[in-house]
Amino acid sequence: MTARAPGAAVRRLLATKPAPAGAAIVIVGGGVAGLALALELHRRGLEDVVVVERGYPGSGATGRNVARIRAMQLSEELCRVASACQAKYEAMGEALGFNILFYRMGYAWILYEADEVARMREIVAMHHRIGIRSDFLDHDGVLRTVPVLRGGEPPAAGVVHDDGIVHHDAVVWAHLEALARTGTTLLPQTVVTGIRRDESGVAGVETDRGTIATRQVVNATDAWSSAVSALADVVAPNRPYRREVLVTAPVERFVDKAITFYRPHEGWFNQTLRGEVVMGAVDPDEPAGLDQRSSWAFLRRTAALMTRKAPALGDLSVIRQWAGMYDVTPDHLPLVGPTSQLPGWWQMNGWSGRGMLLAPYTAELLASRIAGEAPAMLAMFDPDRFPRDAVSSTEQDRDYYRRYARAASG
Amino acid sequence: MGARRLDRPLGPGAVVRRPVTLRWDGREIDAREGEPLAVSLLANDVATISRSFRFHRPRGLMCATGSCGWCECEVDGLPSVRSCRVPAREGLVARSEHARPSAAFDLLGVLDRANRLVTPGFYHHRFLRPARFRKAYLDVIRWFGGRGRVHPGPRPPREWGEGREGGDEHVLAADVAVVGGGPAGLTAALAALGAGARVIVVEAEPEAGGTARWSTTDGGPGGSGSRALVAEAIDRLGADLLVGATAVARDDDILRIVGPTGPVAVRAPIVIGATGSYERPPFVPGGDRPGVIGSRAVEMLLCRWAVLPGERAALVGDDASTAGAARLLEAAGATIAARIPDEALTRIDGRDRVRRVRWIDGGRQRSTAVDLVVVGRRVPSLELPTLAGARLTWRTGALAPDLDDAGRTSVAWLYVVGSATGLGRDADRSPRQAEATGRSAAEAARPGVAAFAPGTLRGVTPVSAAPASVTAEPGGNAAAPDEDAHVCFCEDVRVHDIRRERAAGYDDPESLKRRTGALTGPCQGKYCLDRFLGLCGVGPGAPGGEAPGGEASARSSGSFLLPTTRPPLRPIRLAELAGPKDRA
Repeated sequence: MTARAPGAAVRRLLATKPAPAGAAIVIVGGGVAGLALALELHRRGLEDVVVVERGYPGSGATGRNVARIRAMQLSEELCRVASACQAKYEAMGEALGFNILFYRMGYAWILYEADEVARMREIVAMHHRIGIRSDFLDHDGVLRTVPVLRGGEPPAAGVVHDDGIVHHDAVVWAHLEALARTGTTLLPQTVVTGIRRDESGVAGVETDRGTIATRQVVNATDAWSSAVSALADVVAPNRPYRREVLVTAPVERFVDKAITFYRPHEGWFNQTLRGEVVMGAVDPDEPAGLDQRSSWAFLRRTAALMTRKAPALGDLSVIRQWAGMYDVTPDHLPLVGPTSQLPGWWQMNGWSGRGMLLAPYTAELLASRIAGEAPAMLAMFDPDRFPRDAVSSTEQDRDYYRRYARAASG
Repeated sequence: MGARRLDRPLGPGAVVRRPVTLRWDGREIDAREGEPLAVSLLANDVATISRSFRFHRPRGLMCATGSCGWCECEVDGLPSVRSCRVPAREGLVARSEHARPSAAFDLLGVLDRANRLVTPGFYHHRFLRPARFRKAYLDVIRWFGGRGRVHPGPRPPREWGEGREGGDEHVLAADVAVVGGGPAGLTAALAALGAGARVIVVEAEPEAGGTARWSTTDGGPGGSGSRALVAEAIDRLGADLLVGATAVARDDDILRIVGPTGPVAVRAPIVIGATGSYERPPFVPGGDRPGVIGSRAVEMLLCRWAVLPGERAALVGDDASTAGAARLLEAAGATIAARIPDEALTRIDGRDRVRRVRWIDGGRQRSTAVDLVVVGRRVPSLELPTLAGARLTWRTGALAPDLDDAGRTSVAWLYVVGSATGLGRDADRSPRQAEATGRSAAEAARPGVAAFAPGTLRGVTPVSAAPASVTAEPGGNAAAPDEDAHVCFCEDVRVHDIRRERAAGYDDPESLKRRTGALTGPCQGKYCLDRFLGLCGVGPGAPGGEAPGGEASARSSGSFLLPTTRPPLRPIRLAELAGPKDRA
């Protein structure tokens, strides 16, 4: 599959068109999750798949994220699945014949407070137990490895690992070109307006370009997923939260790790292959709700936090800012699989900020599940794991580490 | 041939300035205290100040207003500073960036010859095998990236810059905020004041008046009437005239400003955009050569800074500003070698600077040697309308905001006056539109009158009409743009890059933006938006764009959606944004 997709095939895939009368499976959402699933279904010989996308492919969170592909996670279960997901990316370029610029720049957690250092020591021990070779760095080690932190708030310690980034648009194009070679139908600029159901379950998808009769619908709309589930009278605990990003003018290579810290609140930055620095400081009080507008408060907050941690970043000029959405579940793990609420309804959402990392590999698992197998790894993503009245709230999770406390101890 | 300093400036308002010495790429440069660094460089015949990001094409002073970014260099250790914004002073140290070894002689300039091979997506199907070299390939790609240099370590506070570092945000309130303190903005501001509104004017330059400060264009904005207007406005506005302050974003009905006193928030229900227009480089191969300079920049160089930008000039365009620049050039002893209509120009030759222009005259190919190309064709500044999500239209050959009779855009809070309207010469020469708009804006700002449209910020931008075809594109070859002409200067995207991506199946503006990088550079489409859209072939009903605030995708018949303009409207340093209040 290394031949370039013909322009005519890509044009046909991307063209707006009337919805077909019927399909075996309709995937709602043309981001990395929906596109990867369409491709995996094709691989398993499941044809007659239609992907419905309200904007252009990747116009949701996929096209707005910074695509860090990290195996190093805070809980053992996430580490295991993330390692498999990273391996999927490692092989994606050759598998799809398209260079997605997977680049192992390395990843570093920077720790500032004694309690997080103690916590991280346990986490690094867990990493080593399951074969993730992260390194614990002391204060001097952090400043040697990440010199841009010099002169800033003194870090207490750090944890580094050989993780990477990809180019999110290239991931979309790689999937589009692969899909253009299959019989998959993509409906861009098409809004789902309703879900038809009958006594045996899902019966069809209504769109502003026509109704598609189908018995299987996959909800791969992430931040929009609760609204789409509601169209089918399916209740889900997910809530959308805005995350903002800024990017600076490009500078020569000077940061070699993707940086994340959690104190006093979550912040992160890394340099892209072009030399731009992308960064963000999370607002712990960000209210739930769909909102993709960018805010001045974000610029000020991020500038203040970054120049406090790494004063050299103050020299950089912000040239652009934007916002994307996280779809957050109560346990910060996605919903992937069928729901007992409606036969034929499949959830593939609630990525809680990890969709880019998790989706391609999880799509492989879900495709095998749809084909009738039962991959063990999907068990922890079971959409039925919450009580019916559960709703995500970040209120109890202001301390980032505590989100993973249950997973780590349990 | 080349640029040089004159004995005395040709215009009003210039003052004699003290000679100072500064350093440029290791050598000493004579300058005048307070003149823009880019002007000092040009006066010393430094034509090439920077290199373009992808292909290391030489670039020099073009707009002199901080818009094009072609004069970026490192100043006193700070990366990518627009040197037309930095006053020269004794001991200043500047160096060129993104060039090996220097902008004047950059070995990587050879990359430009491979521009058809190193396409924006050159890596898509390459560098996959062997897998063990993949990281090394990307390390190499990474080496080619970057522009300026960041030096790690603590930072001392700086005294100069485009805005003071840190600082609490000052909050001001007004009925009407006017962005742009040139003749049109001040006229509108005075009219709004007269109608009883509280008005705040935000001007990016260190002093108000815009072109009126130095232009000698007869009857135009620089006439004596304009100068009287400026004096009156300064007098009546007092502290409500913010100078050296740039509007960079608007959210929650607050205009966000970066200025000499740090970030400023102006809470104003109504905004009047008086942000003017840009001369832009011609749509021909070589349109970005050092020595291609905007007509108003030429006027400013001669009138205000006493610098002659070239000895032998070609004039492209026939507007009043080009004519004014021509008169000044002749008065300074330069030769006008050719007067070329926009659409007749076919090519600009030269390497590190303009050497020759080629054009078609009565069906015949002609050419002449020049060292300066003065471009007068202007496009309206669209930052505020596109940021607001206002409807655009095509007016006198350029993309312009769609305005009602009162000068209001399709977004309730935004009005536009002056050359930013795209109404052309008439609006420039007559304050009537600005006056009427100022009064309407004041009226609308009264409680209960204005119908606000919260949530329109940064949303979809419908365009009411589309160009018939790309051949209608002003400033380019009459038949069709040359394959090698630049569409997007920041990212070195040429016509053939857009055509190639369309042939690969990516037809809508949003895909083409992402595939080629067009519109994503620091200028955010100031110079290329209409050319880009023309080449995308967008017409009524074409897809693209995105929806605001999670609402369903908008598709209205007879309009199409533009890629979103992202704030901030001009680059802002993180240090400028960070305030002690937040730091505590």
